[in-house]
Amino acid sequence: MINTHEQEKKQFKRLFQQQGIDRFALRFQVLEAFLKLEHHVTIKDILAQLRQEGLKIDEGFVLNSMELLCRFGFASKIEFHDKETKYEHRHLGLHHDHMVCLQCGSILEFKDEAIEKQQHKVADAYGFHMLQHKMEIYGICSKCMEHRNTIVSLHKAKQGEKLIVKDFDAGKNMQLRISSMGLKIGDLVEIVSAGFGGQVVIAVGENRLVLGKGMAEKIRVQPFDQVRIQNHDDYQEPKDILQASMLLSQMKTGQEGIIRKVSGESVLRRRLLEMGINRGSVIYVEKYAPLKDPIELVIKGYHLSLRVEEAANIFVEKVRFKKM
Amino acid sequence: MTKKLTIALAGNPNSGKTTIFNTLTGARQKVGNWPGVTVEKKEGKLKHKDYDLRIVDLPGTYSLTPFSIEEITARDFILNENPDIVISIIDASNLERSLFLAIQILELGHPALFVLNMADVAQAKGIKIDEKKLSQLLGLPVVFTIGNKNKGIDNLVEAAIEEVNRFSKGKKSRDIRYGQEIEGCISKIETGILQSEIDIDGALRWNAIKILEDDKIVKTRFQNLSSQVSKEVFQTAGECRKRIYDLFEDDFEIVLTDDRYGVIAGIAKETISNLATKRIDMSRNIDLVLTDRFLGIPVFIFFIWAMFQLSFSLGAYPMEWIDMAVSALSGSLDKIMPPSMLKDLLLDGVIAGIGSVIIFLPNILILFFCIALFEDTGYMARAAFLMDRVMHTSGLHGKSFIPMLMGFGCTVPAIMATRTLESEKDRILTILMTPFMSCSARLPVYIVLAGSFFAEKAGTVIFGLYFTGIVIAILSGRLLRAVFFKGVEAPFIMELPPYRMPMLKSLLIHMWDRGKMFLKKMGGVILIGSIIIWALSSFPRTISYSVDYDEKINAVKYDYSQRITLAADHETEQLNRQLTLLLKDINNRKEQERVSKSYIGKIGKALEAVFEPIGIGWRASVALVTGFVAKEVVVSTMGVLYGVGNDESEALEKALKNSGMTALSALSMMVFVLLYVPCFATVVTIYRETSAKWAGFNLIYTTMVAWGMSFLVYRTGMMLGFG
Repeated sequence: MINTHEQEKKQFKRLFQQQGIDRFALRFQVLEAFLKLEHHVTIKDILAQLRQEGLKIDEGFVLNSMELLCRFGFASKIEFHDKETKYEHRHLGLHHDHMVCLQCGSILEFKDEAIEKQQHKVADAYGFHMLQHKMEIYGICSKCMEHRNTIVSLHKAKQGEKLIVKDFDAGKNMQLRISSMGLKIGDLVEIVSAGFGGQVVIAVGENRLVLGKGMAEKIRVQPFDQVRIQNHDDYQEPKDILQASMLLSQMKTGQEGIIRKVSGESVLRRRLLEMGINRGSVIYVEKYAPLKDPIELVIKGYHLSLRVEEAANIFVEKVRFKKM
Repeated sequence: MTKKLTIALAGNPNSGKTTIFNTLTGARQKVGNWPGVTVEKKEGKLKHKDYDLRIVDLPGTYSLTPFSIEEITARDFILNENPDIVISIIDASNLERSLFLAIQILELGHPALFVLNMADVAQAKGIKIDEKKLSQLLGLPVVFTIGNKNKGIDNLVEAAIEEVNRFSKGKKSRDIRYGQEIEGCISKIETGILQSEIDIDGALRWNAIKILEDDKIVKTRFQNLSSQVSKEVFQTAGECRKRIYDLFEDDFEIVLTDDRYGVIAGIAKETISNLATKRIDMSRNIDLVLTDRFLGIPVFIFFIWAMFQLSFSLGAYPMEWIDMAVSALSGSLDKIMPPSMLKDLLLDGVIAGIGSVIIFLPNILILFFCIALFEDTGYMARAAFLMDRVMHTSGLHGKSFIPMLMGFGCTVPAIMATRTLESEKDRILTILMTPFMSCSARLPVYIVLAGSFFAEKAGTVIFGLYFTGIVIAILSGRLLRAVFFKGVEAPFIMELPPYRMPMLKSLLIHMWDRGKMFLKKMGGVILIGSIIIWALSSFPRTISYSVDYDEKINAVKYDYSQRITLAADHETEQLNRQLTLLLKDINNRKEQERVSKSYIGKIGKALEAVFEPIGIGWRASVALVTGFVAKEVVVSTMGVLYGVGNDESEALEKALKNSGMTALSALSMMVFVLLYVPCFATVVTIYRETSAKWAGFNLIYTTMVAWGMSFLVYRTGMMLGFG
């Protein structure tokens, strides 16, 4: 590292003098301070370093210098998602990617040959000539994950997270309001956006729901991957949030799907088949009776009702919300 | 020369089959039961040119499996009675599902005709069906009709006759071809049967398919023809089934069903074109209110309330007229006829007995008009949809709710209303539970007893009785389900048909059918029953009274006549009044002794030992026995036995209290009245709707439950120090 740093400095002197850039000495100080700092630094970090060395340089000058360092390839600027701009050393020939923790803000550098190769392949496949790339993975670092409760309130979830609704920590009225919005325990939700005054926008199937802070706090969720890890045996992993397969009895009002399998005792199965509930037919959940049982369905253009226990014999795939 | 033809109408429920039947036959129809089962059979006649047509309405079904009586009845009729042609009524707006049954009927190998009914509804939905193509594909005539507007009906008759003639000239119905594997199996079985030279009425292919489907009924019938051949054929069938199972990992019948839908999908693709994309679904809009999460149940309760309101308030007027007519008739007979046993029989037996039953006719007609309205509009299915969760807790179907509710009015129409239930098990179970719903005839008994002994708490007591009835009904349902109807419950798979405008003609026909059934069937048995009860209560004719009442009456009369002649004018009126009261009292006492010494009184006394443990004395016992005729009779009998005449409830209250009856024994008696078999007419209705076995069972079961509960109430009360 020291060697590379020395080399960088030499090159800096050569380049900057060649280009006749003003206040060379001062800018060299900025470079030295920057190189002394490891990892990802902000302008403020550099200012602090300079101050430590007894130099008083104004922020605008440092910013300007850093821009120049970036231009000549001594530093690279990283503008992570909604965070302060940071700079890192740029050593030619050496490339790495970043993982950014959204909880504590720490940045991990990583390099994976497979990904690098894959990127070239993808670019080639599209007939695209790749010059350079930038890759950033946002998420939660292992340290933060350790401290994180597996079940959290919805308002703490991050944008883009997929979660399973576990519980409603709310009174009767609030629970009624939540369920009247069509949100049930066991639903898979995706955070569309979060953070505007605690307001959370989530996607449940094809529905967008806007939840106020108060309501979001009351909804307890668990990250979807964790659920998947915990019971990967019996959980049917949806390929896509809108392509889920489930039992007919688990479908919600307004959902439509394609029947994949009808199981159950022979007589019941035959009865169901005779009424047109056969493999490959499209089935639509019109509504549940006021007492939650039976279900009204639309199949082959007519309306039919089944008890929930019977509907549990029917596997449906490609479930999605449909407007009728 | 006229030729006779039999035409069978087949089709799904709600396909408009009944409407077409009514349009074809008008009022010339006969309603009865299919032999041996309680499935309704309707037949009608129609004259068309030189033809005398007999039209039989088969039960509405979705398939022809051997799992429900309706389906077995329908297919047996076609196979055994060989109608000249079977007309499949198809809901044009629901072609795919309707074809499933129609194709099975076609497979029976009889001349067939497809009727695409409700063509207007289909058109409104934007569905266009190419009937020529359909006719070509299936090799049979296809006719469009709009049943409720009488359109295309003549065409239908014409086409049916033509098709029959075509068959008599040697036309054969076309087979529906399935997948290779299935066809292979079918032809194997067919060969097996053909080699045996067994005659199976030309339905070779159908029998082969049914044997492969492991249809128990067809197999048994086949076995009876030749046990030797059937053994070989069944073995081949077994191998085929196994082969299909190995290939498709499913039973033959399931694979065939799937395949049949495959065939249908192909037909549908070639014949249906959807025109409009945007369509308004009225039914869905109506359901937004009627099966709404919050509104659905209140609206349902309102409809039921309206039904009762209508039948009891509107029905009160004709009931009054009937009552007046009956009393006028007995009054005039009383004047005309000289006193004789025949007169007693006619007046007290026949007229009083029939009169007490015929009085329910207006109620029954109105209730069944409402029920027909619910059914014909499509609301009945919604009611079942709403209430299924509640009824399911006692092992019943959602549709049981309405009969059970009607039980609060009168048990007889309630039991008749169970015909709307498709499953035999559900029907019997509902019939057995309905008598526990406290009918309106029991109310007078509660009013007298609770009024006398519980004063201001009477309302609570009566409410408690109604509630007890409901609880006992639910518990009985669970018990009976567990004991007699074990096994898997019939699945609740119910179509929610589109709402339709009901036709007044259909409603009236339906109402009149029920009324006629009530009058005819009740009439005969009630007549006999009334005569028996009359005989029991008026024999022996000569009773040795403990006091010579006649002499006493004469003595009193003599005494007063003398006093009146002697008395001053102003005293005469008062003396006359005294005389009337005295005579009445003596007559009451005479009647009291007469009844207690009649056969029915002797029965009551003999039963005293039975009723004693539940705190009911001999007079109340006799009242309970006579209550078997009708519950209202309990009050009038008590009136007679407590010597107050039979129409003075206030006097009865006093007499009851003076007789030493306690509040606890009154409660015990009310519980007994609540639970024991409602009346003679109910038992007869149960017998008519199920079998003698169930009627007998109901009689014994309800009486046992009644005694048990009364015993519990009385003994617990005694232990707690009441009474």
